[in-house]
This record gives sequence, C-alpha cells and structure tokens, in this order.
Amino acid sequence: MRTRAAVSAALASAGILIAGWQSGVHVADTGSSVASAAAGTTGATGSSGSSGTSSSSGTSDSTASSGASGAGTTGASAKAVGTYPGSVVQTRFGSVQVQITVQAGKITDVTALQLTDAERKSVQISNRAAPILRDEVLQAQSADVQTISGATVTSEAYLNSLQAALDAANL
Amino acid sequence: MQPTSELGGSALQARTFGSMGTVISLTVPAGAVPGTAGGEGGLDAASAAVERVFDGLDETFSLYRPDSEASRLARGELSLRDSSAAMRDRYAEALSWRLRTEGAFSPERPDGVLDLSGLIKGYAIGQAGEALRSRGITDWCLNAGGDILVMGSPVPGSGTAWAAGVVDPMDRSALLAAYELGGPGTRCALATSGSAERGDHIWAAGAGSRTAGFSGAGFAQVSVAAADIVTADVLATAIVAGGTAMLHRATDGWEIDVLAVRRNGELLATPGFRA
Repeated sequence: MRTRAAVSAALASAGILIAGWQSGVHVADTGSSVASAAAGTTGATGSSGSSGTSSSSGTSDSTASSGASGAGTTGASAKAVGTYPGSVVQTRFGSVQVQITVQAGKITDVTALQLTDAERKSVQISNRAAPILRDEVLQAQSADVQTISGATVTSEAYLNSLQAALDAANL
Repeated sequence: MQPTSELGGSALQARTFGSMGTVISLTVPAGAVPGTAGGEGGLDAASAAVERVFDGLDETFSLYRPDSEASRLARGELSLRDSSAAMRDRYAEALSWRLRTEGAFSPERPDGVLDLSGLIKGYAIGQAGEALRSRGITDWCLNAGGDILVMGSPVPGSGTAWAAGVVDPMDRSALLAAYELGGPGTRCALATSGSAERGDHIWAAGAGSRTAGFSGAGFAQVSVAAADIVTADVLATAIVAGGTAMLHRATDGWEIDVLAVRRNGELLATPGFRA
C-alpha cells in the first residue's frame, strides 16, 4: 500500500518533471505540456486517494481500482520495482520520452528513451555546458582562423598576441 | 571545421587602431569595401568611421580620462539626473543586465563608483557594426580586444562562416578552440572574459572583492557566443563573476554557446563548441 502510494507519487513527480522540462522550451507545445501535466495530476490524485483510504484501513480493493485509473500505475501496483515509460513529448530538441526506474518506491534513475532531432540523430536535451576534454572541442590552428577571441587584452598585450600576427598578415 | 587556409594572405585586408585602452581590428575580404578608384580608400574610410564610434563613446564613458562625463560622475561633480541621455541610457541598460544576471553583472564597483566599461566596449562594437552596415559594407569582422562581431562571410557570397579562435588561457600563444561566426548561423558575436588580464570591471558577485583574488567562482576564462555582442560580452563577464551557477542560468536563459575554462584547466562547453 505504501509502496503503491510512493510509486504513484514518483510517477506524478515524473509527470511534473516532464511538464517542467517542457515549459519554457517551446510555446507551440503548450498542448502536450498541458497533457503531461494532466497525467501527473492524475497520478497525484491517485496517491492522495490511496493514502486517505489506507488511514481508514482494509479497503485495499477500492484503492486498487482508483490506483489503476492512473495510466501506468497498473504495473506499479503489481511490483514496487521496475521501469516506467512516460509519454512522448515534443520539444525543440525533438521527441523526448522519459523513463523512470523505481526501486523500493523511490525513483533511482531517469533516462531519456527517445531523444532525436529531425535527422534522427541523438542530440543533447539541453544547451547546458558540460565537462569536456580538450580534444573534444572544435580545434583550430591560428592559420585556420580569421580572428581571435581572448580575455580583454591591453594595447601592450596586443603587440604579442595572435590577433596582432593575423592583423599584420592582412595589413 | 571547414578548412579556411585558402583565405590566408591577400584574401583579407585589415586596419587597426587604438581606442578604449585596447586595439581594434577591422578585417574585410579584399575588394569587399566599395573604394575610391579601386584603391583601399574605401577601407580606410570605413575604418575611420569605426574609430569615430569608439573614440566618441570613450570620450563620454572612460574613467581613464579625467575630463570625461563618467569621471565627473565618479567624482560626484555631476549627478545621474543631470547627466546626458547617452549616459542614462547605458546606465539603464546596465541595471537591466544586473537584474537579468541576478547581480552577477553590475555597473557599480565595490566602492560605489559607476563603471560602465563592462558594457561600453560591447556597445561600441555594435554601434561600429551599424556604421559599417549603413555604409553598405556587408562582409566584415570587428575585433576589439578579443571581443568579436562579424557580418557576412570572409568569402563574399559564399556563405562561409568567419572562423574565430579562442585563446588558451594556459598558453596565450595557442588556440584552445574554434568557433564559426556568422555565415549560415545566427551567432555573430563572440566575447571572452577572464580574470587574469585587465579584469578591472569584474567583481565577484556579492562578495565585494575582485575575482582576481577570489577563487570561489573558479573560471580563468569564459567565452560566450551570441547573436549580439553586448549579450555575449555581458554574459561572459557575468559568468566569470558568478561562477558555475551563473553559467547554468546563462545557458538556460539565453540562446548562447559557452566555453568556460576552470582555474585548474578543466573545460565546460555547450554542444556548439564540440567537435
């Protein structure tokens, strides 16, 4: 009983997570954003309902049916451990489907099942800056560039800068 | 990265001049500036127009000139209310950036003196770009002390992007990365801020101490690519001052690419800087 409440609460928070992800991402996707938010609310209602009935105790059958009203919670009621896919949401990064892994009633992992752009190649879900190795950034030699960005140089520092060398070549 | 070696040597023409305590470079494809009788008079005139923009703004906003309006404000001889519209407009813009960066970018020094130098160079680059555009020049690259704004392409009509290098803060004679500006992309500006050199307009957010002696933020250098140079410049400054939290706020809230170098040499990059 408690685990089911936890699982549906977990699904509810996954729904909110998806909705949060979606909000602020694309105005045109408001419809699907609302849909996933509604799915999350359904789960939340189920969890509050089951906690209410568990306090009165013994009415496990009725809570089982109310729990089943939330999509996906049918499987959750059978086992407290497992993976649960969310609905596919359109974002500016392409279609995104989130899967949660639940163990002992807690979300232990959230993974993106489907993460593609128009060319069907994998893309990062956000534009966040992530740790990267030096040989993973776009490389260039100074001979291959037309201009150079660096922390503000003084006129004196300019004299010995790569930009000065480029400018001298084109003066 | 597309090979651009065929652009070397005579394909580009450059003019440089000193202003705002740094060196400004204007680079154009050979023949891209409508000149006088096929000579380079057109480029010289364009460069002079750019120089006038920088010098005009420096006259008003420089704290290094005792006679500037900014210096008179700093000494308390002039109040903001009585200052010029240009001063008040830039001050309002700076305050707006302070709000949007939650204080990581600030137009006021810890001692209370109004210092708009973190904003003015980017503003000057943008205005200079407008001056070039209004002269009908549509392929150019402006570099002011390492902050860059481009339009068009180094090979007019080809759609090829300008290739910008980012200096390695650990070895200033080497490039850390490259970034394509302009061309088919919407990001035409690239600005780099660091705490190692001339970071006199960067203060650690809320700490009242300069980042040069404040290792909490932890970035030696931050490069930001954006559609406009003021956004790139201000956010690069804000991320150096505000650290990792500001970095994530910036990438969440603006359409930008960021390459940040921690003091220990570790890199953080958005996908746009990935090979």
